[in-house]
Parts: sequence; C-alpha cells; structure tokens
Amino acid sequence: MELTRRDAVTALTAAGITTTAGCAGLTGETGSDAEPMEVLVSLADVLYPSDIEPTPEFIETFMYGRITDEESYREELTAGIETLNQLAADEQGGAFHTLSADQRRSVIENTDLRTGPSEPDGSDVARVNYYLLDELLFAFYSSPTGGELIGNTNPRGFPGGFGYSPSLEQ
Amino acid sequence: MSTNESTTTMTTDRTPVDGADVCVIGAGPAGAMVAYSLAKRGHDVVILEAGPRFDKEARVDRMKDQLHPTHSDNEIWDMGGERDEYSTSGEHSWPVNQRRVKGVGGTSLHWGSVVPRLYEKDFEMQSRHGIARDWPISYEDLRPYYAQAEQEIGVAGDDETPFFPPREESYPMDPLPLSYSDKLFKQAGEELDITVHSMPMAINTGEYDRNECQGYGTCQFVCPSGGKYSADIHVRKAEQQGATVIDEAPVQRLNHGPAGEEITEAVYKTPDCETHRQTADTFVAAAGAFETPRLLFLSESAEYPNGLANSSGTLGKYFMGHPPAGVIGILPGENTHQDEYGPVVSGGIHQFYEYDNPDDPQRGSVNMFTINVAGPSPATMALQSDAIGDDLLNQVDAQFGSTIGVNMSIEMLPREDNQIGIDRSTTDNHGNPVPDVDITPGEFARKGQEKGLQVGSNLIEEMGGNVVYAKGTQTAEHDGLTPLGKGGYHPLGGTRMGDDPTESVVDPTLKTHDLDNLYISSGGVFVTSGASNPTLTIMALSLKAADHIHEELQA
Repeated sequence: MELTRRDAVTALTAAGITTTAGCAGLTGETGSDAEPMEVLVSLADVLYPSDIEPTPEFIETFMYGRITDEESYREELTAGIETLNQLAADEQGGAFHTLSADQRRSVIENTDLRTGPSEPDGSDVARVNYYLLDELLFAFYSSPTGGELIGNTNPRGFPGGFGYSPSLEQ
Repeated sequence: MSTNESTTTMTTDRTPVDGADVCVIGAGPAGAMVAYSLAKRGHDVVILEAGPRFDKEARVDRMKDQLHPTHSDNEIWDMGGERDEYSTSGEHSWPVNQRRVKGVGGTSLHWGSVVPRLYEKDFEMQSRHGIARDWPISYEDLRPYYAQAEQEIGVAGDDETPFFPPREESYPMDPLPLSYSDKLFKQAGEELDITVHSMPMAINTGEYDRNECQGYGTCQFVCPSGGKYSADIHVRKAEQQGATVIDEAPVQRLNHGPAGEEITEAVYKTPDCETHRQTADTFVAAAGAFETPRLLFLSESAEYPNGLANSSGTLGKYFMGHPPAGVIGILPGENTHQDEYGPVVSGGIHQFYEYDNPDDPQRGSVNMFTINVAGPSPATMALQSDAIGDDLLNQVDAQFGSTIGVNMSIEMLPREDNQIGIDRSTTDNHGNPVPDVDITPGEFARKGQEKGLQVGSNLIEEMGGNVVYAKGTQTAEHDGLTPLGKGGYHPLGGTRMGDDPTESVVDPTLKTHDLDNLYISSGGVFVTSGASNPTLTIMALSLKAADHIHEELQA
C-alpha cells in the first residue's frame, strides 16, 4: 500500500495549513551523501508496517507541513540524521539509508532508538527519537491510512471532518 | 516551545493607553466579553494580559504536543515555571497549571467547550434546600445574558434537551449529532430509564464567523482549526472596536486614591523589565479565580491591610471547584468508533443534576458528559510503545478501538475554610508571593461522585462492557490519579457575590463593595458551584457587568 499525498494535502489545506512550501529543508545537504528525504524514507520504511510503502510526498506533507518553526526543525533534522548515521556506522558499518531493512531494524533494536527517552531538549539520541522517529510515527498513526489499519479513518490528530456516526449494529 | 518566556520583540509597544475609560485585567472569556461589550459601545478599553498573544499557526504543533506522551498537559500552552508558581496547603496536590492558560484567550484556549447553563436551583440553594447560600441574583436575572453569550460564542445545542432549565430562545446552531458511543449510551440508558441527550457545545458546525470544526478530536486541549470557540475571538472583536491589548503585562498591584474609594492605576511589568502604570475610570479584574484574589491580596494598603476589597474578610474564601470523576469501560470485540467523530464531547446525562430527594439533598449535582475519545489516541499509543513495523501495528490495533467512557463534574458546597490565600514563602518571577490553594471538596461532592460513577458503570455494564476504571477525586487516593483524573477543574468562588458587604466581595452588579470603580468578572464571584461547566455562566455574568459599567460610565 503506497502512502499518497492526496488525503493529507486535502485535509491540511482545509485546515488552512500550506503544504507546498518549505521543501528546501528536506532537499538540502546534510553532511552525508544522502538527502534528508532519502534518510527519512529509509527510516519510515522500518517504522511503518511492512505493507506500507512510504513516499517522499507523504513524509514531506506531514513532517514538514506540520512544523511551523521551519528553521529550527531543519536544524534538528540535520543533527538527527548525523546522529542516526553515527549509530548506523557503529552498529552496521554504514550510513543509515544505505543499510538493508534488516540492518536498519537492527540499528533501532540495538540502540536507544525507540527504547530510550524521546525529548525535544534531551541527548542526541533522545532528540532523534523526538524529531525523527516520533514525527514519522505520529504522521502515520494520525493519518487515514494508518488509522484505517486499526479500523479508524479519522484518527485523533487528523482533520478529517466531524460528526461521523454510524448506526448501531444490532 | 517549552517555556513561557517572551517570544515577541522587545520593541513591541506596551506603554499605557492615555485616557482609557476601562482597564480590564485578563484576556480570558470574562475579560474578553466585558472588553468587547464596552468597546462596541464606544468606550476606550485597554486589556492587560499576563501571558502572550499566541500564534494561531502554532496550534498544530501544540496539538501534537497534546498527543505526545513526553509532554504534560501544562506544557501544551506553555504553563509552568517561575511565572506560574503556586502552592497547595490543602490535603492533596492541585494541578493548577494543567487547568489554566495565561495568554490572549485564556483558559478557553484549552477548554472542552461544553456550555450548559446553571440550573434555577443553583441560585437558590439556601431557600430551596437550606444549605449553602442564595445568589443575590436569580436564573431569571441571568437568562437574557445566557442567551446573549450563546449567540456571541456560537453554541450548537438542542432546544428540547430534557432536564435543562427553561429557555426562550433557540440555540444559535442545531445540535451536534450523537456520536456512535453516545448512541451506545443512549441504547443502554433506555434499558435503565436513564436519558442520554446531546450537550450544548461551543463548536462551529458551519454557521459562525470562524472556521468550521474539522475533526481533529483534540478540543481539549487544542483546536487547531479554530472551530471551537476561544476567547481570543472576542478579544480580536474588541480590538476591532478600538480596544487595546497589552500582552505579557502581568499586573503587579492595583493602587487606590487617598480615600481608598477608587482605584487609580494598575501597575504592570513588561518583558523589558519596565514598570508601567495604567490609569482608567473603571477597572475590571478578570484574571480568573486563582489570580484575582491573589492580585487583591498583593494590593494591600494602609486602608485595606487584609487585601484590597476585603473589608468583609471573605476575600479568597468559599473557594470551590468541580471535583471530577470518570468511568472507562471496554466492550470486548466491539468497535466503539472512538476518535472518529471529531468533537471530544457531544452527548451527556443531566438526569442526576437535580437531587434524589429535593427536601433532603445528600449529594452534589452530577453533570455527566459521554466521551468520544476515551483512552489514548492511536498516535499516542504508537509513541508510547518501543516496537516498530508490524509489531507496533499489532500492538496499537490490539489496544485501540473498544474503549468507551463518561466523565463528570460534580457540585461541591462552598465552605469558608476552602480558600485561595497567599504563600509568602514562595515568589514568582517578579518577586511576588504566589497563590496558595487550600481546598477539601467534602462529603456532598463525594456522594455526587459515587452517584455518577454508579450510573456510568451501570450503563457500561448494560452494554456488556467491562468497567476498567471508575474513580473520582473523592473516592480514590487523589494524588495517585492520572493527571486528567485529578482535581483543579473549574475554579470558582473566592470573590463571591452578595448583597451584604460584610459577607461578600462584590455586589450583584459585580462591583466590589469597597471600591466605587472596581469590578470583578470571573468564576470567583460564584456563590455556589452548581455542576454545569461554568464558562458560559462566567461570560453571561461578564456581559451583565458590562451593562452596569456602561450605565455608570454614561452617568
């Protein structure tokens, strides 16, 4: 199942949030060989369920359209990718996005990614958890696509309209 | 943003306004209504607000903070830290900063927007039941102002709602439809002779001059779309009528003239550490039930050694709240469609607002609202887990979707020893002693909670559900409850209204008995608490006070 930009853009536009601007932050250099988006997609690929194919469009919309302080987020993104690549190099000997899915999962499972603290002002890894992993997971589990997999196409955090009220099942 | 430090430039003009007719202290619902009502009639109004003017674009980020398990509720609107210090000397902690917001819009920025009126009996507790005290005004006195407030903020409600007090005017908008979980409660209620009905909500369903609800499902504590009413709307309307708002300008004290009969100036600080003095003909203290008594205590003088407007000795006393309780159940194998509906609340139960035996009330009124978002959101569950990929999906899928819940606010009786005082051993960022909260809700509230918990549990069990949580602040160890389960909601009293200057702080027009040009507009003037969410009543009282102030200024 490919995540598309369509449903996200529709909803965010309705909410008055511009989603087309600001992509420069995700295409600039980060100090590694990859563009930030490439790293985020490789990260989302192991965070999201196996049936889901994350796309740059989906990530761009949710990761960027929902961040109002663009400059500070770009800084966190750049620093976070650097930390992620360092962890990947220590664990698997290469930049994160160059690793296989199994290797990327191994990086997460053998470090404080996910299991450690997630804090906006914490350690380097805590900030990776907060600004990269949690942003990606929030984007997915508050989207119609993520919600649908658990039986809810308008999960909390998503502006999918109001008043949905099916009839009682007898 | 994790602090409440100033984010605006130091060059913002925060100097006093020359020739102001009215100075309003506080830009929450009470201050906003007074300011707008007076500004539109041509009075020069200045509002001094302790907190900032929030960027509306940042609400999406605040919403994300709300759903992120890392953040506590007070962080969502930047509450906490030295600016917002307080003490609690009562029997349990009181999460004050999780229940209020300082800034333009005030606590309505994070409220749930449930807006029932008080009942007729709430104004007449002493004459009807021989307990507490009557208000010096009746429901009938406030009724036109209720209708006005409902029109101003845009309420979606059902004119035929059972149990509610009489109304002559229709709600401005049709009621929100019942959610799926409301329908489950309604169906179970029919078996138990319990009526489940829609609740009046200050949420725009499309007819008001603000964005329509877009269904984020996070009304409490952030509405990114602006479909939920918040008082920054009427602050903006007041500004359009010529009012001036000075934000990040906490008032340090009110000074009076030589005879002690009138306030002459509000002394406030600005982020550049300057001290300013705002003069006006009339002052309205609308800083909420925690901060208003504190400001009056801090404004003590030779004429008022026990605090400004406190010749009665009742300042800070008879403080109340609505002790909360809640029931959460799980319906095995059922999809309760939690989270899908949008507004957090759409239905409620007011059948137990009136007492079982009106001649011998044993318990507080019970105001129940069925919840469309019982339990954590899917995103919150995902962030709380350590898992990834399919394992994470399976975890979230297993946890989510079968919860159902009902929350309630309960009446407590006013007591002299429940009070807001001053803790002189602790100071805020300006060196001022902080407010101290000393409150014990008592047996009347406990019995009300027990009634509500029993009703909620019976309903969920009737559905075939398992009750997994049924607790109130008076039925469980308070400090062991979750942050949302603890008290502190709906602060009321402390500057109560009355005809007798020896037993109350303000008169029926909300003017202080002691000072000719000082009004108080806040939940602090409530004489009894009722159980209804109080903000609509606060706004109605504010509109009424504005009429009195207008008449006085014209004279």
